[in-house]
Amino acid sequence: MEGGRAVLALHLGVLGLLGALQFLLPPFHHGMVARIMVLAAYAIGYNLLLGYTGLMSLGHATFFAAGMYGAGLTIQHWGFGVAAGFLVGVVGALAAAFVVGVVTLRTVGPAFLIVTLMLAQAFYLATLYFNEITLGEQGFALAGLNVTLGDWRLDLARPAVKYNAALAVLAVCLLGSLALVRSPLGRALVALRENEERTQLLGYNTYRLRLVAVLASGLTSGLAGVTYTLLFGYVGSTFAGVLYSIYPLLWTLLGGAGTTLGPLIGTLLMTYAVDVASGITDAYLIVVGAVLVAAVLWAPAGVVGGIRTRWARWLP
Amino acid sequence: MDFGPHLFLALLEGLVGAFVLALTALGLSLVFGVMRIVNVAHGAFFMLGAVVTWWVSTATGSFLAALLAAPVVVGAVAILADRLVLRRIGYEPESTIVATIGLLYILEQVVLMTYGPYARPVAAPIYFRIDFPWFGYSGYKLVVAAVAGLLLVLAWLVLSRTTLGLYLRATQQDREMAQTFAVPVERVYTLAFGVGGGLTALAGALIVPVQQAHYLMGLDALLMSFVVVILGGLGSLRGTVVAALVVGLSDGVISVLFSPTLAKIVATLLVALVLAVRGRGLFGEEAA
Amino acid sequence: MAAVTPILETRAIVKRFGGLEAVSGVDFRLARGEVRALIGPNGAGKTTLVGLISGRLSPTAGRVLFAGRDVTGLGPWDRVGIGIVYTFQITSVYRRLSVRDNVLLAAQRRHLRRLADWVMLDRQRLTHEVDAALESVGLADLADRPAAVLAYGHQRLLEIAMALALEPALLILDEPTQGLAMGEIDALCRLVRNIAERATVLLIEHNIAVVLELAGRITVMDHGRVIAEGAPREIETHPEVQRAYLGRRSRSTP
Repeated sequence: MEGGRAVLALHLGVLGLLGALQFLLPPFHHGMVARIMVLAAYAIGYNLLLGYTGLMSLGHATFFAAGMYGAGLTIQHWGFGVAAGFLVGVVGALAAAFVVGVVTLRTVGPAFLIVTLMLAQAFYLATLYFNEITLGEQGFALAGLNVTLGDWRLDLARPAVKYNAALAVLAVCLLGSLALVRSPLGRALVALRENEERTQLLGYNTYRLRLVAVLASGLTSGLAGVTYTLLFGYVGSTFAGVLYSIYPLLWTLLGGAGTTLGPLIGTLLMTYAVDVASGITDAYLIVVGAVLVAAVLWAPAGVVGGIRTRWARWLP
Repeated sequence: MDFGPHLFLALLEGLVGAFVLALTALGLSLVFGVMRIVNVAHGAFFMLGAVVTWWVSTATGSFLAALLAAPVVVGAVAILADRLVLRRIGYEPESTIVATIGLLYILEQVVLMTYGPYARPVAAPIYFRIDFPWFGYSGYKLVVAAVAGLLLVLAWLVLSRTTLGLYLRATQQDREMAQTFAVPVERVYTLAFGVGGGLTALAGALIVPVQQAHYLMGLDALLMSFVVVILGGLGSLRGTVVAALVVGLSDGVISVLFSPTLAKIVATLLVALVLAVRGRGLFGEEAA
Repeated sequence: MAAVTPILETRAIVKRFGGLEAVSGVDFRLARGEVRALIGPNGAGKTTLVGLISGRLSPTAGRVLFAGRDVTGLGPWDRVGIGIVYTFQITSVYRRLSVRDNVLLAAQRRHLRRLADWVMLDRQRLTHEVDAALESVGLADLADRPAAVLAYGHQRLLEIAMALALEPALLILDEPTQGLAMGEIDALCRLVRNIAERATVLLIEHNIAVVLELAGRITVMDHGRVIAEGAPREIETHPEVQRAYLGRRSRSTP
C-alpha cells in the first residue's frame, strides 16, 4: 500500500498544523480551537457509527454526557482525582453504549434512530429528575483540577495545558479511527453498512459487529465527554439534551460522513459558524437548520466527501 | 386533597391530555404510514400552530379565526417544505430525517426571531368552571377534549369515506399498486404532509389557552407523538387513538401523583423497549 | 456408500411463511464431492430449501446436519465458517466497493480467528489469495473498478470469486447462468467443474443443458417436496417429473 504512507502523513500533518497553531492564535481563538478539538473527537466517535457502519443515531449525547457525569459526579461528590474520574467516565460511557447497543441490536433504519432518541431522552430527563445531585440544567462547575505525577503537576486550568490535552485526545481519536477503518474490522463494518445480508453470508456475525461498532463509537464519544468536563470544568444537562445529539450528526454530515477527516472539518466550520451567528442574533441555531437542509439538498457527501469524489479518491 | 379526588383530578387531566395527544399524533401517524418517512419537524408544526393561534387571535380578537388560520398556515408551510426539500431528495429515509431536523430548527428559530422567547397565553374563548365537590375544573379543558374527539371522528370519516381517504389508504398499503391504479402518488404525498401538519397545528391551537405558546413547546409534542404512534402501530388510526388514551391517562396520573418528568421517562423507556423487541417493526418489512 | 456420512443432510425440514408451506418435510442428502442439481418449476421451494441450508432462513421444523454435525441452530455466519457457502440468485455484491475489496472481504474472513486478527492481517498473503480468486474467474483486469460498473455477467463471476475466496466445502449456486450469454455460460460451466474438484456443489438451475452437463445426480422438487432423485437419464424419463413439468406447461398454455 503506497497510498498508506501518504494518508498517514496527511493525518499527522493536520495534527502537526493544529499543534503549531497554538503559538499563533490569539487567546480567544486559542480557547475556541481547544474546544473544537474535543468536540471533533466526539464527532469522530459519531462518524464511526454513521459513516463506517451506516447507523444513524439521534442519541449520542447519552455517551458524551455519560462520560461527563461519570467523571464530574465522582469528582464533585466523592472527591475522586482527575485520573479516577477519567476512568469512571470512560467506563460509564462504555456501559451506556453497551445498554444502547444491546437494546437496538435488531432495529434497522428509522427504528434505530427513534430508539436511540428515546433512550437519550430518558437519560436527559433522568439528569433533570435527579437534580439534587446533578443540579439539572444549571449544572455545576469543577474548579482547581490538576494532574500530579510525582513532583510534576499539570494545572488543567492553564490554556496551554487545555490546548495540548485536547490535541492529544483528538490525535488518539483521529489516528485510532484511521487505524480502525483500515483494519479488517473496519472493512467488515463498511461491508455491513453497504449490505447486511451479504455480509452475513460472507461469514460475519453482523449483530456482533454492530455491537462492537456501537461500543467503539460510544467509547470515543464518552472519551470526548470526559475530556470536555476535565478541561472546561463544567457538567450540565444541556450536554445530554437533543441538541448535543444533533450536533455530531451535523458536524459529521457537513464534513463528510465516512471520511476520517470530515468530522474535524465539520466541527471546525460549524462551531465557528454558530459562534459568528450568535454574535448577530439570539436565534443563532437557525444556521444549524439551514446547514442541515442545505447539506441534504446540495452536498450529501460533505466537504471531505466532495473532495474525495472529485480530486482525491485515495482519501480514507 | 384525599387520594380519591386527587386520582380523579389526575384522570381528568390525563383524559384531556389524551385527546389532544391523539390529535397531535394523528398527523405523524398519517405521514409515517402513507409516506414511510419519519418527520422530525412534526413537533415544530405543533408549535407553529400554537404561535399562529396567538398571533391571529391577538390581531383579530377572534379565537375561532385563529383556529381556522392555524391549520391552513401550517399546512401551507408543510406543503412548501415537501415541494422544496423532501420531494427533491426523493423521500430517501435518512436524508428526510436530516432535512426535517433542519426544518425543525429553521421553524423554531424563525419563531424565536419574530415571536420572541416568551410564553404567551390566549384567553380561552369559552370560560366556565365545573364545580366538583372537591375542586373546581376548567370547563374549557373539557371542551378541548370534546373538540379534539370530534376532529378525530371527522378525520376518520374523511379517511374511510372520501376519495382522498381512498387515495391515502391505497398509497399506504402498496405504493406501486396505487400508482398502477392511477393514484397521483406524488400529489398524495404532498397532501399527506400538508394534512399531517394541519392536524397537529389544530392540536397546538386548541392547547394555547391552557398551555401558552412558546417556541420550544414542540419537542415534547414530538416525543409523545412518537411514543403514541409507535405503541399504536404505524399508520393505524385506531391504534394511535387507543395508544394516545393509554399514554395520556398514565402520563396524567403519573404527572399528578409523582412528577411529570418521571412520567416522560417511563413513556420514552417503554417505547424504546417496544421498538427494540419488535426489531424490524417500524414499517413492517418483516413479511416474506 | 450407505455407510459414509453425507456432507449435508436435512431431516424432515419444513418452512412455513404464514399459511404457505414452501418446504414440506424434505429429507435431502448430499454425498461429499458430488455435483448435484436441484431443479423444479418456479415456486417449487428450491431457493427456500437452500436458504434453510445456508442459514438465511430458519426452519419451522426439522434439522440440518453438516458433516454429521447438527447445524440447525447456527447463524448463517457460522455456517460459512464451517464451509457452507451460498451465492445469491439476484447478484448481491457491494456495488460501491471495488471488485478487489469485494473479494478481500471474503478472503479475510477465514483468517479472522483471534481478536488480534481483526486489527491486523498479513496483507501480502491476503492480496495473493484475492488475486488468485480473481484470476480464476477472469476478472483480474477489472480488480480496481467499482463493482457497480461491471456488466451483469461479470457481477455473477464476482459473486463466484467471492465464494471461492471463502474456500467452500459445499458451494450452493442459485441459478448461476441466469441472464448470461452463451459464451459466458460455457465459461461458467468450466469454472464449476474446476470448483467441483475441491468442493461439493449444489446447483439450482433452470437451463437443462447446463444441468445435464454438470450434474452427477439430479433432485427434482415440486410443491415443497422432493418428487424424484437420480442420475440424469433416470430423471428424464421419470413419470412424476414429466407430470410436474408438462402439467404446469399445459395449464399455462391456453
